[in-house]
Amino acid sequence: MHSRFYLSLLLISSLVLMMFIGMGVYREMTSEWKTYQTEYKNMLVRNAEDDAARKRAEKLEIGLRQNYVASLNKSDRCMSCHIGVENPYMAKADQPFTLHSGDYIENHPVDKFGCTICHYGQGRATNKKEAHGKGHTHWDYPIIPTKYIQSACAKCHDYKMLQEEGAELVVKGEKLFREKGCRGCHKLNGVGGDLGKALDGIGSKPRAYYAMKHVVGEHTAYNWIKQHFDDPRAIVPTSEMRVFMEEDESDLLTTYIFSIREEEMPSKYRFLKNIVTPPRDGESLYKMFCVACHGSGKISVYDEIFDRTIPAITNPPFLRSADNKTIKNIVMEGRGGTQMTSWKTTASGLKEEDVDKIVEYVASSRTYERPEPFNYLEFQTNIDSGMRLYNNRCSYCHGKEGKGGNRQLGINLKNSTVQQVLDPEFLALTIRDGREGTPMPSFGGDGLGLSDQNIADVVAYVKTFGKKK
Amino acid sequence: MRVFKILALFMAIALLLISSPDFISAQDEDAEYDDAAYEALLEKGKEYYNARCEACHGADGDGKGFVDIIRVSEKNGRVLEIYPRDFTVGVYKFRSTATGCLPDDKDLMGTVKRGITKSLMPPQDNISSEETEAVVEYVKSFSERYEEEDPCDQISVADPPVWVASEKSIEKGKKIYKDMKCWECHGDLGKGDGPKSNDITDDWGKRLLPFNFVTGELKRGSTAENVYMTFTAGLDGTGMPSYQDTLNEEDRWHLVSYTLKLMGLTESDKKTASH
Repeated sequence: MHSRFYLSLLLISSLVLMMFIGMGVYREMTSEWKTYQTEYKNMLVRNAEDDAARKRAEKLEIGLRQNYVASLNKSDRCMSCHIGVENPYMAKADQPFTLHSGDYIENHPVDKFGCTICHYGQGRATNKKEAHGKGHTHWDYPIIPTKYIQSACAKCHDYKMLQEEGAELVVKGEKLFREKGCRGCHKLNGVGGDLGKALDGIGSKPRAYYAMKHVVGEHTAYNWIKQHFDDPRAIVPTSEMRVFMEEDESDLLTTYIFSIREEEMPSKYRFLKNIVTPPRDGESLYKMFCVACHGSGKISVYDEIFDRTIPAITNPPFLRSADNKTIKNIVMEGRGGTQMTSWKTTASGLKEEDVDKIVEYVASSRTYERPEPFNYLEFQTNIDSGMRLYNNRCSYCHGKEGKGGNRQLGINLKNSTVQQVLDPEFLALTIRDGREGTPMPSFGGDGLGLSDQNIADVVAYVKTFGKKK
Repeated sequence: MRVFKILALFMAIALLLISSPDFISAQDEDAEYDDAAYEALLEKGKEYYNARCEACHGADGDGKGFVDIIRVSEKNGRVLEIYPRDFTVGVYKFRSTATGCLPDDKDLMGTVKRGITKSLMPPQDNISSEETEAVVEYVKSFSERYEEEDPCDQISVADPPVWVASEKSIEKGKKIYKDMKCWECHGDLGKGDGPKSNDITDDWGKRLLPFNFVTGELKRGSTAENVYMTFTAGLDGTGMPSYQDTLNEEDRWHLVSYTLKLMGLTESDKKTASH
């Protein structure tokens, strides 16, 4: 009885095992690359121009092809399917047989470079899905979409060469990155603002780095970055990123983003003859660090992303009352309670000489006209009267507590910069003369009719916001 | 007895005089009293206005205050230019009266109290009803229209039908949105980016951008009734017409449904948002 039971168990398990072995053999025989290679071989035989060529073609061995590049530590099997990638006769063939586009392959022979060093994907995989690493394959670095491929070129080449020899997209992306003011919020190499994440090595981040919930289509880093550029809040609903794209700008920037990589190429691969340092004059620095929020700086806007007013900073009325020292103080200290962070070297990594250049650029449209001075210290101020005036005339824009924002036009007055760094004279001048080009009206005698005494009282009251109550 | 008769006669004459419509001197006194009260009201309104409204709307109510244009950058980067209302013209967007009419005082009082936060007009939280009345009276005094015309009757809005914001109603509203060419200005998805969106000006030639429904917030408030009122009364002075004569009540409510959908304010939207 028992022996029969064990006998049948053995029989069944043997059959199952045989089935598995059979399946394995079947899969090996019909694997994608084998089918492609057979097709390729037939194509060569069919199109052979003479007998010698046909014989060569018939001798083509069908087998997995692996290319190992020791110095890059890459072993790629891509050519098992992309078998014609170096064959000039395959220029017009369909994928996967087609010849590599452009003249890249002449300068980057497969045996010296492999494939994945530029294209990414999973080099050791032996089927398309896993090799390209798309979909739910859990491969962190899927193959780069062709439109962003130039990001790989920047791993080895300097920007002059990229510009001149066919990688101008990543060059444009890098320029946009500078001129859209990305580093106003994002640090790169330790220099930049603090509102966003640092971007060092952003192009090498694994998939898990990104919250993919709202990404449309395939959940890849490429789609995340591209869609986030197009509409930051569609991907990260709470994002405060202030970036507005035109036409292909998001593609160009995405290309650049994926050129910011952690891995360093061996020096013999690098081609950095003409390293061009980007310009560091005042205007370039202003664009790099300020333009994302302040734009041209000529006009104030109430921004619905920050939910507060972004003040004009290059308009002559501001420059009339703010001297370079005041502007520098504001830049260095930032404005607490707002999105304006501190640009001291210790906070932003920006050198003080660069801040000076920015201040000079901001002040460049200053006219020689000087305001009539306001001798604040000559007044005996009355804080109670200042409070009444403030509550009646100022609070509906700056808020009762002077915080501004949150659907109030006024800027934040309750931060250490206004409270401790700015002179009372500067505040008094601003109240008296207002700021043309911004919503701040002139409250002085020629404007809304407050006397100098009234204004001094209000300044005295505003200066109490910093004190603990 | 005779004395009584004479007295009675005098009394009768006096009564007659008092009750007669020609008793002019007494009426004059009445009017003078009203005028004085009105002047006092205006004075009070002016005081409030000068402290709280003048900065934007100007001392003469012409909308040319020191604040000038207010620029708002929407989340998608579109910059709206907001001009404070010119009270001398007497044309108002947020009315509960038929298009072309002066607004009801209640409309103006509501706007003063509530503010128009989307346009950065601050709400007046602590204003008393007396002050509201005074400031509205003062604002009205800027325009000659108030001397020449009487405000029309308020349009009454019944409670929204129960089917408002239902799937079926949204579908119908969507069709109306298409047929009435709302998309020409407001765009297919209500983002304010329709083909004509860049060519619209208000009655005074200033550029206007059509409302972006995706922001989910109407200037006059975002309830179904508010949306309905906008369709019914129109927004005078802007490109937004009244549909009181071109769409029947039911269709207007369907359009409300679709608008609420575009604004993300239907029940199902709220459910998905909370998830």
